[in-house]
Amino acid sequence: MPSDGNDPTVPEPVRGDATDTGAVDEILKVHRLVKVYRGAETPAVDGIDFAVKRGEIFGLLGPNGAGKTTVLSVICTLLRPTSGSVTLCSQDTERSPTRIRSLFGLAPQEIALYPSLTARENLHYFGRLYGLSGRVLRRRTEDCLALVGLSDRGGTRIDTFSGGMKRRANLAAAILHSPRVLFLDEPTVGIDAQSRNLILENLKTLRDDGATIVYTTHYMEEAENICGRVAIMDRGKIVAEGTPRSLVAAMDGCVNLEESFLRLTGRHLRD
Amino acid sequence: MTTLLATIWKELLELRRDRAGILVLLVMPMALVLIVSLVQDNVMQATGETPIRVLLVDLDNGFLGRAVEKHLRLDGGLELIRRQGGREVSEEAARKAVVDGDFRFYILIAPGTGAALRKQVRRRAEESFVPTPKPAKPPPPATVPGLILHFDPAVQGAFRTAVLNALQRVLLGIELQEKGAALSETIERKMRQGIGGGIPIPPGGDAAKRTPPIRFELDTDPVLKLREATDPGGRSPRRPTAAQQNVPAWALFGMFFIVVPVSGALIRERQTGTFRRLMTMPVSLAGLLAGKVIAYLLVCMAQFVLMVAIGVFALPLLGASGLVVGPEWPAVGVIALSAALAATGYGIMVGVLARSYEQASVFGAVSIVIAAALGGVMIPVYVMPRSMQAVSVISPLAWGLDAFQDVFVREGSLRTVGSNLARLMLFSLATLSVAWWSLRRSRSGE
Repeated sequence: MPSDGNDPTVPEPVRGDATDTGAVDEILKVHRLVKVYRGAETPAVDGIDFAVKRGEIFGLLGPNGAGKTTVLSVICTLLRPTSGSVTLCSQDTERSPTRIRSLFGLAPQEIALYPSLTARENLHYFGRLYGLSGRVLRRRTEDCLALVGLSDRGGTRIDTFSGGMKRRANLAAAILHSPRVLFLDEPTVGIDAQSRNLILENLKTLRDDGATIVYTTHYMEEAENICGRVAIMDRGKIVAEGTPRSLVAAMDGCVNLEESFLRLTGRHLRD
Repeated sequence: MTTLLATIWKELLELRRDRAGILVLLVMPMALVLIVSLVQDNVMQATGETPIRVLLVDLDNGFLGRAVEKHLRLDGGLELIRRQGGREVSEEAARKAVVDGDFRFYILIAPGTGAALRKQVRRRAEESFVPTPKPAKPPPPATVPGLILHFDPAVQGAFRTAVLNALQRVLLGIELQEKGAALSETIERKMRQGIGGGIPIPPGGDAAKRTPPIRFELDTDPVLKLREATDPGGRSPRRPTAAQQNVPAWALFGMFFIVVPVSGALIRERQTGTFRRLMTMPVSLAGLLAGKVIAYLLVCMAQFVLMVAIGVFALPLLGASGLVVGPEWPAVGVIALSAALAATGYGIMVGVLARSYEQASVFGAVSIVIAAALGGVMIPVYVMPRSMQAVSVISPLAWGLDAFQDVFVREGSLRTVGSNLARLMLFSLATLSVAWWSLRRSRSGE
């Protein structure tokens, strides 16, 4: 059964500093969110709360099965919450999903592109679905290809790309319509250091341009490097939240986020 | 060797985990074998052994009708239906049954045929004993109304010939029986006349040498003739060519095979995550589905145009009869469009409901082969066993094929194919609604 948020047996999450997001600047607010899949005995997401400020990079960390992708799916209107609410840009995602969908961009964990189309053809297709057309569409396509370092490979089919190029093209498709919030589900998984570095630099650039980014990752060093704040999830709950530095400082003897993470979530394997 | 065995083990393990896939792989081919075997059960026997149902309109109402029925029953090639709803079948009812497609043939025995046959046979028997010298000019033969066989123009040549042969065989038998009876009666009478004429047969003499000479010339031309009529609806007759049968049938088959690429594309969208991306975009499901439908409709229509072009232009170049589209080409276009819509809708439904590419491709392809077999693409529906004929009405390919044949062979129009068009449209609507409903559930996270 999902907890109601007042269960005395549930430990309080570790709080680092700078957890006050400032209600005025909140662009995303997740309130007592619970998601129980049909037929499941335990909730995938169990009464979590967090908020994301405008213009910050927020990391959602956790071991496999912690519930990160489920949280992103609920926020992105792909799943209906069992209870609780999600407010994006002051709008309830369940009440006005169609309006919400134009406000964010999603780069799923999979390479969500058509393999037999070129990168440019993919971006043109998704751009049209976002309502872009003509010169604006062409300009945005070229800008996004340039941002991810694929300007000279825009006419190449996706199925001939390397893993890193595919990840970068996947990111380009998510930012094409200049979304206010960008959701990235493990955007750097399985790629070379160069592509990872470029993607992380791109995320910083987007943040500096005013975009808000929520992303999940298994790479603690990466999160420590670019995230303003992180939330660590385990078994559907948030077990720690704050700036990476504050979370490290809150755990005695930990020198980096990875050690704090392992201390919070345990060293046993998750399947 | 290790790699080989490990790979075999891994593949079998994966298959075992995909229970639905196994079901599709095993059950669908079984269903295919079963249905195609059932459908073709009669084909090898269509030349006579298994009955083809034929209506008999007996306006003669005499011995001939009964003899035809008895001989056909013994012959086994045709099953005669004389009564419907407890009443003798009228010519009007038979004509309507053939026009409606309930029966493919009806036999009409004109009034007075039996009596005329007997009269003519007796006359011929009489004339067989030619007097010496032979008369210079024989009297003209009396006419026998005969039998008329009415066909649905859509009946293929092989089955038309099978029915004609079976009937000819029976009529020849009846005629021979009548001729035999007439001859024996005449010979007996002639003999009696000779003896009654006072031929002296001396005691101990050779009677045969004193019997008057009889010249016997039997006219072997058939008396009872079978005529063929091809206009059951009162319209001008037109013989269907192989192109008229095969081009629409196989064009439909090809169009419905669009189910494989359509469903495959949908499965790939799910597998690559593009579906997930699409579901988070500010677009309507109806718009996405409509885009797919229209794209594949265009492919289907291009495919149909190519098939028709082959029928019209390529077949004559190869020495075969070409396809004649005729003046009702708008009707042909509307039928093709409706069939393409049905095929695309079905493909989208399969793609949305299937869980893997293997499921979609095997189920999609085999279900189309089954629908084609049931729909008369491979074997005409009217030669299938009765049970399969009843099942064939659920096949969208049967609706499309019937509509095409109506226009190409029976000179039908948009009005006459209306019911089949409605069935195809409803089928598309139903399949697309199922797909839309399923996608909507998935998008709203239910």
